[in-house]
Amino acid sequence: MQKHRKNRNVAIIGIGQTALSSHKEDQNQVEMVAEAVRNALEDAGKTIDDIDCVVHGNMELFEMQFQPDMWHALGCGSYGKEEYRITTGGTVGATLVCASDNLVASGLYDTVLCIGFEKLQEGNTTGGITNMADPLWFRNLQTGALTSTTAMELIQKFGKERVLRAAMKYRIMMDKHAMLNPRAHRRLGLEYDQMETLMETSPQLVGELRLIHMCSQSDGACAMILTSEDRVREGTAKPPVWIRDHETSHREENMSNLYGARKPKSTHRDCAERLFARNGITDPLGYFDVFEMYDPSAFWAVDWLGEFLLLEGDEHLRLLEAGEFDLDGKLPVNPSGGVIASNPIGATAMLRIAEAALQIRGDAGGHQIKKEVRHALASGFGGSLWTVLMILEKEPNW
Amino acid sequence: MSRYYGTTVDDIFDTMPERFQPQEAKDVDVVVGYECGGEGGGKWRLKVREGAMAVEKVEGDLGPCTATVFAADAETFIGVTLNKIAALDALTSGKLRITGDASLLMNLLPRIFKPYRVPGPAPVTARDIVAGMADRFRPDKAAGVSLKFAYDLTGEGGGRFTVAIADGRCRVTEGLEKDAAVKMTMEASTFVGLMTGTMDATAAFTSGKVRIDGDMGAAAATGRYFDRYVPPDAPRVEELLSLKKVTSIDQRFATGPVMGKWFAGLRERKLLANVCPVCRRTMIHPREVCASCHVRAGEYVELGPEGYVTNYDLVYYASPDPLTGAVRDTPYACAWIMLDGASPEEAFAFEIKKEDLPRLKIGSRVRPVWAEKTVGSFRDLLYFEIID
Repeated sequence: MQKHRKNRNVAIIGIGQTALSSHKEDQNQVEMVAEAVRNALEDAGKTIDDIDCVVHGNMELFEMQFQPDMWHALGCGSYGKEEYRITTGGTVGATLVCASDNLVASGLYDTVLCIGFEKLQEGNTTGGITNMADPLWFRNLQTGALTSTTAMELIQKFGKERVLRAAMKYRIMMDKHAMLNPRAHRRLGLEYDQMETLMETSPQLVGELRLIHMCSQSDGACAMILTSEDRVREGTAKPPVWIRDHETSHREENMSNLYGARKPKSTHRDCAERLFARNGITDPLGYFDVFEMYDPSAFWAVDWLGEFLLLEGDEHLRLLEAGEFDLDGKLPVNPSGGVIASNPIGATAMLRIAEAALQIRGDAGGHQIKKEVRHALASGFGGSLWTVLMILEKEPNW
Repeated sequence: MSRYYGTTVDDIFDTMPERFQPQEAKDVDVVVGYECGGEGGGKWRLKVREGAMAVEKVEGDLGPCTATVFAADAETFIGVTLNKIAALDALTSGKLRITGDASLLMNLLPRIFKPYRVPGPAPVTARDIVAGMADRFRPDKAAGVSLKFAYDLTGEGGGRFTVAIADGRCRVTEGLEKDAAVKMTMEASTFVGLMTGTMDATAAFTSGKVRIDGDMGAAAATGRYFDRYVPPDAPRVEELLSLKKVTSIDQRFATGPVMGKWFAGLRERKLLANVCPVCRRTMIHPREVCASCHVRAGEYVELGPEGYVTNYDLVYYASPDPLTGAVRDTPYACAWIMLDGASPEEAFAFEIKKEDLPRLKIGSRVRPVWAEKTVGSFRDLLYFEIID
């Protein structure tokens, strides 16, 4: 079987976001979703009548509202249309775009609207994540997504001082990016000279993982409109952003074999190797102009940069330390401020793709990268280490 | 008195001396007349000469002026001063007229006077907010609660306070009492920001603006027992209603034959793994198929019981125990343990004895400690203890 053979090319032609914040008490879920949908339709210059199919997703356990797609039908505009619902944990936002890409690429629908959302303040996130673990074993042990095992591994490999500084460098860099993005939730105004103080004073959550390292819990929604190449050729309101390819990698359900005597390949590296090999990309660091990475914590971010970009040894640390992932660096990472700044989980992974697409369009506003962005990479993360990786292009160049 | 946009014409003239910037008025020599009709109006004469100014309310004739401003009514005068009414619109409609040298009104006066601002109430201080806490206390929400917490609020308007809740009463005293469960240290302005809602609590805490010494849970709970602080002059806003629900579900999961063997093993104080017939890895807990080889694994072996720690999470964050819903006792540790006899792919994750946490490290040798009576459940295995 040849994987990911498209019947036709697919482009993103509309992007809508709500502001991302800790509380959205002035809107219910339906209204919040409707705001993102309206913004996406307006961005695409389309009406809801132009939409053939709706793909809707979040994590039901977080708000404990099952089948929210029924409740949300009015906000989604899905009444009388075909609709699919997807939930794959933290990756759901990325999986929504992958599924929509597949639906259009297959020829089943011309124009698909996908919506990812979450109102984390309406439920209990850590409780929800904990209840995702195998109920027969491990649920008794899991603490949401809080873990410092990666910090521990990094420290064993590269030394404590260097790793703690790298994590803070990353965290403050993300805050500096978030300060440029008015939609971002947490904009703290951190400075690099606060590094030492924050390393000591920020409350410890798990091992070396402190509150400052961890992502926020946010409310917000993101909607995107995808259409076929034929439709794109008829004209679009904004420049189209092409979905070149995507890949999903995950482990078996169990968390226990992560830290055996022999370390398995990470899903991030596995995913990147397969996606880049299929697309003939041999130097991801050189090829991509921006990387919107799903970064739930600063330690994971530091580690995953090495894994996604297929780097060896301490190259990812050296690049980070040299500022090569800054907004004006060799490969800017998360100009939006990333997940650390804003995390409405069901929308989070879609926001990575949306923000990467905005960078290609040159439409990102205050956090737009100064040099031209032609090739973008976006990732999603969640579940039992599910990883989704997507390549976006300015031109259909493959 | 006629108030518009929260102020009066008199106040605009009365505040001129304090808004005057003499350094900007060194070579100036002008007289400006103001005439405002209607209720709350009047006539004023402003003289600016060689870095000094004088403004007076006049009865009768304004006398010779470099420029004169005529406003139809107090609303126009105040509105234009505050940019609430566009001056051009007022001039067009004739509600505002200027005679003489109009340019000095546009160019000179904005330079030599700071812009007029509507007087606000005296800014609220952290001290005021703390002082009102006893009044905002909600005995109905603090039934059975006994809690003492302290604030160390630095800088202007701050102070040190202890708040004690007991027997349905709240007492606020000056000073830090030693037996407070938690002390929160921050700048007084941060406290005011948190209480008036202009600052986000999580963000303040995360960015190090608030330091918490003592029981973090107690610090998080403090807000629960009080009505929210509302500034005395707060405009009335529409109330946002939210619905509160608690969902509690009884759950029951069948184990199936493979996990059934695992739990039966626990009952006999054995850690059982099943072995993949293709790749020979030991899977613990046992699994229905080997995910890599896609085959069933029917051979069981006992692992350990001893092993060594490959990695661990030392957890300080008190999350709910998913089995009971109760808040977990912290710190606790989940460790990954390579059991003796296991294949190298797979460790076994479990808790470490609380008393052993200070000497827990990667490489620690550990052994399981079992419940007195084992029944084939989560609770049969209590924890692992360190043996070296």
